[in-house]
Amino acid sequence: MAAWSNTSLLQNTGLPLTGRSRFISQSGVLWSRDIRPDGRGLLKFRPIAINIGSISTADGSAIVKIGNTAVVCGIKLLANTLVVLSSAAEDGEIEVRISELVAPTPTEPDIGYLVPNVELPPLCSPKFRPGPPSDQAQVSGHFVAELIASSGCIDLHQLCIAPEKMCWVLYCDIMCINHDGALLDACIAALIAALRTVTLPHVDFDAETEKMVVHEDRRKHLEILSFPAATTYAMFEDDILISDPTAEEENLCSGVLTIVVQGSQLCSVHKPGGSPLSETQLQDCIALAHRRGNSINKMVASAISSPER
Amino acid sequence: MTMRFLFINFMAGMELLSDQGLRLDGRRANELRKIRCKLGVFTQPDGSAYLEQGNTKVLAAVYGPHQIRVKSKTMFDKALVNCQYSMATFSTGERKHRPRGDRKSQEISMHLRQAMEATIKTELYPRSQIDIFIEVLQADGGNYCASVNAATLALIDAGIPISEYMCACTASLGNGDVPLVDISHLEEVSGGPSLIVAARPLSGQVALLEMSQRFHLDHLPKVLDRALQGCRDIYNILDQAVREHVQAAGSAAGWEGDVAFAS
Repeated sequence: MAAWSNTSLLQNTGLPLTGRSRFISQSGVLWSRDIRPDGRGLLKFRPIAINIGSISTADGSAIVKIGNTAVVCGIKLLANTLVVLSSAAEDGEIEVRISELVAPTPTEPDIGYLVPNVELPPLCSPKFRPGPPSDQAQVSGHFVAELIASSGCIDLHQLCIAPEKMCWVLYCDIMCINHDGALLDACIAALIAALRTVTLPHVDFDAETEKMVVHEDRRKHLEILSFPAATTYAMFEDDILISDPTAEEENLCSGVLTIVVQGSQLCSVHKPGGSPLSETQLQDCIALAHRRGNSINKMVASAISSPER
Repeated sequence: MTMRFLFINFMAGMELLSDQGLRLDGRRANELRKIRCKLGVFTQPDGSAYLEQGNTKVLAAVYGPHQIRVKSKTMFDKALVNCQYSMATFSTGERKHRPRGDRKSQEISMHLRQAMEATIKTELYPRSQIDIFIEVLQADGGNYCASVNAATLALIDAGIPISEYMCACTASLGNGDVPLVDISHLEEVSGGPSLIVAARPLSGQVALLEMSQRFHLDHLPKVLDRALQGCRDIYNILDQAVREHVQAAGSAAGWEGDVAFAS
């Protein structure tokens, strides 16, 4: 039996129809009753699964699945460490980590760095080829970085070890392992969930001798001031708006809209072109995004506090 | 860069095997690490698999056979197998700056391609391409072996014909003369020799053999033997997983009776 390439029924027509018409022609009955090909209503969301802390080599990790879209976020801490003095001295092992010198910038001497990075490897979707980061990866990466900076969810002052001398760098690597639409939703959720599990070791910095002592066993959690959550919508011509599109729907749609909320505040609205949206539709989307944001945050909170972890 | 200075009681004896015959993680010399695997974990690739070997966690995705991307590499009589091995930046103890493209990853990609080409029936798909992508989420030794095993499962999930499973296993020598199977990262860096074997387990044909460090020629047969036995044990585990997966998929589709397998 020859192997099949993973094309879906919807994309196999070979007819150059517009997005909605393509849907209608294949599942005419369904769309007229406002049911999408995967059985959801137009404004329904896919189930979310969250797994925290499964990557033990990372200092904080989270895996988020929204429907079939799966995203892993791993966070690594970096600082200039000279000697580790901790209870590890008992079993005779001293770990000497010599990493890059990390000094704060001269203009902002008392904050650390948070470096998010989004990776869309070729394994997550046939759209991505091996090679340098695709446009979509770079755009998503930039979006996440801007969002974290502007939302103020992390106070970078807590990453400072000694002003003008030493600071922590949090490298947040978000990797998509299966791309089935709503990528930004999953990326933001995974990043926030992973950040909530990161612990910073306590550091004693002697200003005179410029020696640092890292206490691996005394750790404290990062203080996260707010929890942004993203919701993606897709627009079709004839004013159809659907929430949480799958990859198929994203391919066929005429525009996407991503709304990020935190608590009761609106954090970001990202609408890269596409067919126009009326104001009432936008307001409805924002309201729906608020509700979904709350449920995502509740889920992350329960995953973190769950005893099986 | 990380420099791990293991203190005196480690350096002196390189004690990979204790007096009671237990290794650093509590295993016996001939015990594999716990293997957990799952086929068909993702929807986008044609075939996918997730495999855990101890603390090493690997994802494999297979796309194809599909049209060849680089026309100049077209082969008129068989398919082109393209492998990419990539390690997540958070997969190792120290953050990996270059997930792919560094020499070690390229070497492993090439070895992976060579091992899989030895078992995929490429003559059935001339002028086309099969992509195998490996992503290591957590690395704790035996990365190459876990990748080969995961790639085999992903190929089976994609329905690409293979002559036989391709299983890979590492082996080493502990205390100078006891062969150890399936070595972890700690055992790898302790300085002992390490032998990596990728083989077709049932026929015993070796596709790839790689060795580092050195040990006396007299020890080679037993280390190789131990590695091949490891491959056979891994084969049993993988085959069991494949059968369960097909059973589950089949019963969901309403197949009746036992599923017949060609052995």
